[in-house]
Amino acid sequence: MRLSPLPSPAATRRRSLLTLLILVLVLSSATACQRGSAQPEAADQAPDVAMTFAVSPDPPAVGWSTAVVTLADAHGQPIEAARVRLRGDMNHPGMQPVLAEAADAGGGQYAAQLGWTMAGDWFVIVTAELPDGRQAVRRFDLRVRTP
Amino acid sequence: MSSTSVAERPASPRRTPIALYQPQPEVDLLRTRRLGRLLRWRWGRLAFQLPLLGLAALLVYDGLTGPQLASQNLATVITWVHYRGLVVLALLLVGNLFCMGCPFTLPRTLARRLSGRGRRWPKALRNKWLAIALLVLSLWAYEWLDLWASPVLTAWFIVAYFVAAFVLEALFAESPFCKYVCPLGTFNFVSSTVAPYQIVARDHDVCRTCAGKECVNGSAQALGCGTELFVPAMRSNLDCTLCLDCVRACPYDNVALARRPRLHEVYQDSYPRRWDVAFLFLVFAFAGVGNAFGMVPPVYALAAWLSSVLGTGNEALLLAIILGAIMVAMPVGLGLAAAWLSRRLVAGRGRGEPLRAVMARYAPAVLPLAFAVWFAHYTFHFLTGALTAVPVLQSFLLDHGIAWLGREPNWSLAALLPTDWITPLNIGVVVVGLMASLSALSRRGSRPAQMPWMVLFVLVALAAVVIFTLPMEMRGLQG
Repeated sequence: MRLSPLPSPAATRRRSLLTLLILVLVLSSATACQRGSAQPEAADQAPDVAMTFAVSPDPPAVGWSTAVVTLADAHGQPIEAARVRLRGDMNHPGMQPVLAEAADAGGGQYAAQLGWTMAGDWFVIVTAELPDGRQAVRRFDLRVRTP
Repeated sequence: MSSTSVAERPASPRRTPIALYQPQPEVDLLRTRRLGRLLRWRWGRLAFQLPLLGLAALLVYDGLTGPQLASQNLATVITWVHYRGLVVLALLLVGNLFCMGCPFTLPRTLARRLSGRGRRWPKALRNKWLAIALLVLSLWAYEWLDLWASPVLTAWFIVAYFVAAFVLEALFAESPFCKYVCPLGTFNFVSSTVAPYQIVARDHDVCRTCAGKECVNGSAQALGCGTELFVPAMRSNLDCTLCLDCVRACPYDNVALARRPRLHEVYQDSYPRRWDVAFLFLVFAFAGVGNAFGMVPPVYALAAWLSSVLGTGNEALLLAIILGAIMVAMPVGLGLAAAWLSRRLVAGRGRGEPLRAVMARYAPAVLPLAFAVWFAHYTFHFLTGALTAVPVLQSFLLDHGIAWLGREPNWSLAALLPTDWITPLNIGVVVVGLMASLSALSRRGSRPAQMPWMVLFVLVALAAVVIFTLPMEMRGLQG
């Protein structure tokens, strides 16, 4: 039986360093390869559309609030007949999101009831499917207070 | 009158060493049929580490490439909701299972090759001071960077652990990362006093005559204890990673993972009597309160007041002051004051006892309460959000075109228990912890000397109860 010669310590060290370097490079490059869903705003197909978000009471407290989303085109004209969905999440993971579909209130305004379950930092992702088939997506940050 | 003469008396027994009666452990996990065989298997630890390595890789991948929304990313959900909750549950039910399956130590072989002979960990650092500093530093960084809210930072946090373990393994011949550096390990070592199992020698006589001491020195076939614990001298779970290298290294099969009373080391007063160990326990207790305090409204009022007084909005500085006061100044100041008062209240010669000895006697009694506070906090997050892992995993799979778990994530899944139940549960846990701490305290020293510590423990418990009854606000300090 022939035994293969043992690699020298220097060769082993070089190989180990190379492995480490490759690992670091793979990890670093992974940050540049974010998936499509990485940022919800990336799904925005209508940057020309103006979207506002208002909530009443303002600032909102734990419990129910009325959220109003307003859509306008590049000329400031209200966009009607859109389908508007809202999703509220806490900044901290591990909380159930608040999901709602807004009703068309006319004049480019869409209203929904949102039930805040805990005080703290929230963000709402509003997704509007526009009549022209495009999708407008925006993020709004807000702080919910203790009642 | 006895007729027995002096000459007739039976000869006194010869003064030869007599083996003390040592009952065999009633329950030894290593002797159970299937689990015992798996645990003692040469690759037994690897069998636990590989799934966790796969999970860590998944978290890093999703953290770096997935949705940068904490509630929709596996990195943040699993790390900050599940890991912490499951760790404290495992500690309570079995023991230090996370360190047993820790994936961070897996690149050890590669590091050892890189290091060659390596060197010894500096003597000045062979204590818990660095571990205390890094525990506090990691809790400060968690708040400052809002780690819970950032999948990418959480991913890098995991990578940093791998790198730190790797570098230390590469630089030093022993395994200093677990024993002297790792904040997660520090948390687990201290908490594992609540564990119902401990590594023990089955027969101390076997250890007495053992020449090689393979459990700590290792052998050609197996590694010895990475944290350099000698099995027959182990009197607590402190520093035990449950790697079971000692079990595999022992040529006499003389190591047991035996069932024992919880809090054994606290009740038996068997921790090392050192300043660093005593302060570690106190810092651990106050850090539990400080970590929970970071999520309730008064912390924001305090930060705003501090900001106006100091004329700065520097979040890192404000947090350093607040957390430094709670996690460092208070345990050190109040601990020293309690020890000094204890000594003053003792009559007679006890007054001349070194402060270190007084501190080391009483400080470990805080551990049941300290663990209770951490347990209440971490299980709060776990019980309110354990099921959120399901829709996040569904979403992850759907992102990759896999519909095994359904075609639409079920975002209605979240809490394991009604949230109204959780606050009373938390308070109950803290009360049980306080009772256990007071019970442990009652077995140490004299009643007057216990009083300052009793007051301190009650104050810590009261602070925890007040925090848990306040509305939780999950947000960053400056937001």
